[in-house]
Amino acid sequence: MEPVSIVESVLDNLPVAIFAKDATDDFTFILWNKKQEEVTTIRRAKALGKNDYKLFSRESADYFRSVDKAVIKRGKLMKVPDEILETQDGEEVHLRTVKIPVFDAATQRQLVVGISEDITEQVRSREKLESLNKTLTEANRELQETQMQLIQAEKLESIGRLAAGVAHEVKNPLALLLLGVDYLSQGIDPDDQNVDKILGQMRDAVERADRIVRGLVDFSSQRALMREQTNLKRLLDDVLLLIRHELTRSNTAVELSVPADLPDVYLDLSKFEQVLINLIINATHAMGKTESPKLEIVVLCEDLQGVVKNQGARKKEVFRSGDRVVHLELRDNGHGIDSKDSGRVFDPFFTTKATGQGTGLGLSVSRKIVALHGGELTLKNRENVKGAVAKITLPTKVEAIPGKQGSKKVKDVDTNASKLA
Amino acid sequence: MSKKVLLVDDEAGFTELLKMNLEKSGDYEVQIENDPTQALGTARRFQPDAVLLDVVMPGMDGGDVQAQFQGDPILGNIPIIMLTALVDSAELSEGAVAQSGSSIMLPKPVDLPLLLGVLSNALEAAEEV
Repeated sequence: MEPVSIVESVLDNLPVAIFAKDATDDFTFILWNKKQEEVTTIRRAKALGKNDYKLFSRESADYFRSVDKAVIKRGKLMKVPDEILETQDGEEVHLRTVKIPVFDAATQRQLVVGISEDITEQVRSREKLESLNKTLTEANRELQETQMQLIQAEKLESIGRLAAGVAHEVKNPLALLLLGVDYLSQGIDPDDQNVDKILGQMRDAVERADRIVRGLVDFSSQRALMREQTNLKRLLDDVLLLIRHELTRSNTAVELSVPADLPDVYLDLSKFEQVLINLIINATHAMGKTESPKLEIVVLCEDLQGVVKNQGARKKEVFRSGDRVVHLELRDNGHGIDSKDSGRVFDPFFTTKATGQGTGLGLSVSRKIVALHGGELTLKNRENVKGAVAKITLPTKVEAIPGKQGSKKVKDVDTNASKLA
Repeated sequence: MSKKVLLVDDEAGFTELLKMNLEKSGDYEVQIENDPTQALGTARRFQPDAVLLDVVMPGMDGGDVQAQFQGDPILGNIPIIMLTALVDSAELSEGAVAQSGSSIMLPKPVDLPLLLGVLSNALEAAEEV
């Protein structure tokens, strides 16, 4: 075994590749440690006395030379965060290299010393992670798209259910318009007190029909989740107008209680209408055999107190102490939820309705829509009274909504939504 | 002598315009009732010769109102014309008219000349009985 110096021994046992080039002699290698042999797959005996152009591809050698020259020119250490080297076997090796200019006073030679760390594994892992992340992002995007499609499909089912009722609601103002035309076409007496009144009623009828049709068109629109600053009372009025026919036919009395100082919430109007229509239609079905069906819609605002995150009820995982939330409760006096079904009501395709009367998607889609708004939906039996209560809790702060921030745009909502008969 | 007609429909605007139209013909005296649960009481006081009755109303539907009238010894024989905006034929067959056997049903929007004709015929037929 050849005698080796302590320095050589240390250099060969370091876990980093070390090399030195003599810039005064066309950058020929004068130092090449064991790790450098390993990463380049070039033996020391072959490398010493040769420069980059004799050992690596022209492209790589050009790059190494330009960095070497820059190091000497600047006279200070330079870091190359990710240097790609093609080995003799054609493998790509990633190196994190530091190059240092060293002037050897004894020999009057300008040297460039390099220390390289093999980061190939790290780079591969990072690339793998990035690719995995991309796949995951793509899958997540597809999932979100599918969810939106499901929400839309369920909405189309609602529209189908509502269509007859909406047509009925439009026919009433049309009937009024026709009577107005009939009256006026018999000739107008200048002293007839009725004329002004009739014209006013005809105008109201056109506006009412327009509002109903517009409500249905807005409700049918398919678009990505778009939140707007919303007054819940106006939203409820619009919803009650759309399903007025269903409520009248089922003889359901509606009691609406909304505090005057209710803070606005940030909602996608169309999707939230879908939730409310689902819940109200469910309630009317549940009250099908009730003698005096009654739906109480109660809206309350609360500053949450004593809520500890991640403890107990589900609500406590969504909201925190100090959060101002709005509760919207829909209380019916129907048959309530059978205890054997209580754990399944939000399961997709679970339904207690007869075939053809519902796909069983309404509640699962409704819960999803509420969750997209940073809120939660629960459904349980009422305490001490027969019937069920659906409760929606919503944040009032836009920051509390998952994902992007809500738009602060205020939609021009008609304030004269018709009262329930 | 003008005939007395009772309009029972929860749509206040509609009843008001129908009343104006019927009264303009000069042949009718019209009373409006927008609350179907009050229809029987109003009819007992007003003693109409005919009733125009909506089908879908809150609180009580047209079929129930019709059944109340038919169960009344004095109002039982007056002609009732049902007006409806129902659009679905299944609903028509399941509706109050089919169940109660009434023969006159007119769709909304109402064709006024048709209504006037039907009303006049129904009143004549009732007089002949």
